[in-house]
Amino acid sequence: MFLEKVFSKGKKENNVIGDIKKQINLLCTACGFFKSALETDNPSLMRQVMDIERAGDTIRRDIISRIYEGAFLPYLRPDLCKFVEIVDSIFDLLEDTGYRYLDLKLPEQLRGECIQVAFLNRRICEMLLITFESMLKGEDLREKILAIRIYEKKIDDIKFELIRDARKIEITNFWEGEILSQFLSCLTSISDVIEDASDHLQVIHVSMK
Amino acid sequence: MWKVISGIFLGWSLGANDSANIFGTGVTTGIVKYRTAILLTAIFVLIGSIIEGPKCMRIVSDLSRLVPIEAFLCALAAAITMTILTYFAIPASTSQAIIGAIIGAGILSGSADFSKLIKIVACWILTPIGGMIFGYLLYHSLKFIFDKTIPSLTYRNTIYGVGIIVAGCYGAYSLGANNVANVTGIYVGSGLLSCQMAAFIGGLSIASGTLTYGKKVMITVGKGIAPLDPFTALVTILAEALTLHLFTQIGVPVSSSQAIVGAVVGVGIVGGLRTINPKMLVKIAVGWLITPFAAGLMTILFIYLTHFAEGLKTILFIYFPPA
Repeated sequence: MFLEKVFSKGKKENNVIGDIKKQINLLCTACGFFKSALETDNPSLMRQVMDIERAGDTIRRDIISRIYEGAFLPYLRPDLCKFVEIVDSIFDLLEDTGYRYLDLKLPEQLRGECIQVAFLNRRICEMLLITFESMLKGEDLREKILAIRIYEKKIDDIKFELIRDARKIEITNFWEGEILSQFLSCLTSISDVIEDASDHLQVIHVSMK
Repeated sequence: MWKVISGIFLGWSLGANDSANIFGTGVTTGIVKYRTAILLTAIFVLIGSIIEGPKCMRIVSDLSRLVPIEAFLCALAAAITMTILTYFAIPASTSQAIIGAIIGAGILSGSADFSKLIKIVACWILTPIGGMIFGYLLYHSLKFIFDKTIPSLTYRNTIYGVGIIVAGCYGAYSLGANNVANVTGIYVGSGLLSCQMAAFIGGLSIASGTLTYGKKVMITVGKGIAPLDPFTALVTILAEALTLHLFTQIGVPVSSSQAIVGAVVGVGIVGGLRTINPKMLVKIAVGWLITPFAAGLMTILFIYLTHFAEGLKTILFIYFPPA
């Protein structure tokens, strides 16, 4: 085991890292599809998000099994798995948001702000990928995490405006209002989970220093 | 030759107990499997005993002039003291037990060399301090080197994994080199064994203790050890190994437990003194004080009992001569 570890030059670890990058890239793609679906009001594009979520699930399972097959020091494994699980929960949240979107007719007066949030969500995902790559190189993560926090703050600001605007919409049916409320809540909480993921990257970074 | 048995028993108990000091942190951090840790410890303890073990033999054999039966009783008393203190969960050191036993026997026979004892006690005091200094310095220097040269997470992961195993092997080597004198050094002074033979038999007995009972102790001790991060584990093992190796060059057998406690404290100082539990340090200090006195008193008791038995045998011989 020892010699295998020395001579493999971290092959298992590199495979896991490659898969995590793939997972975050897929998340960026899903966020991109989500934004485009909102812009074009295209349900088939939104269904693509669900397909991507399933692909993300497969990658998550691969990563976790590879980690427990011996990639990385046992000390680091729980933190890496937790990060992967957090990223997977972003996929889940994105999928839930997509399903709610398919269930409702989004009022046009809210669409612009929703697109803005979806755009920022994609940006934060890209930032998460940059942060992950920086962590691998052992670079300082503070600036990248700060950028994610700034994006998250922007989304929070939009969220309050969205709620204010949503209150002005006349609701005739309970479920229509409930689903709209759930859609807005899910859409605006995606960035919170991405922020959690970035915070967890900082934990991994510090624990290996 | 049967008189060596008590030394072998002492070596077995040392191997069973002290192997946890070498790879305990590596095992609790999950870097090394128990089986690998036990095997590597046994191999490197034996190598260390054979190559550098004789360096510490002289001071143990010169401490008191003992006859073979006294050497047997000293090793027996030290082994029993260690067993009792371990049973009561009092941290004890084989080095202190055997030196206490030799001095006890030396006081009775009037051959105790207190000038050598002063050197040994000074080394006992310096062992945790050495561990602390090495721990502190290694933490800072290795952190600086790793931060400058190995920023990549993957490489660092490999370095920590490989580093802990290599440092553990070095620690086992140092343990064998330094502690084998505790086990069989006493027989060199009494003329029962040559230096090389004593080192070989002592090394084998320590290795057998590691192989047969090391795993159980490591599991028990491992559960009580707070899991250290890989870097701290690496620094701690390396500091312990360097401390033991340094005292081997000076020629004084010291305690691996004291060295590792010192190293942990040294690393703890880096993280702020709040990470150190003062109550635990007091408990360790009490154990260190009790061990030599308890072993010394037990040796005196054993020698008196032997003399009493011999006296009784003589009386019986006079009053009831064989037909």
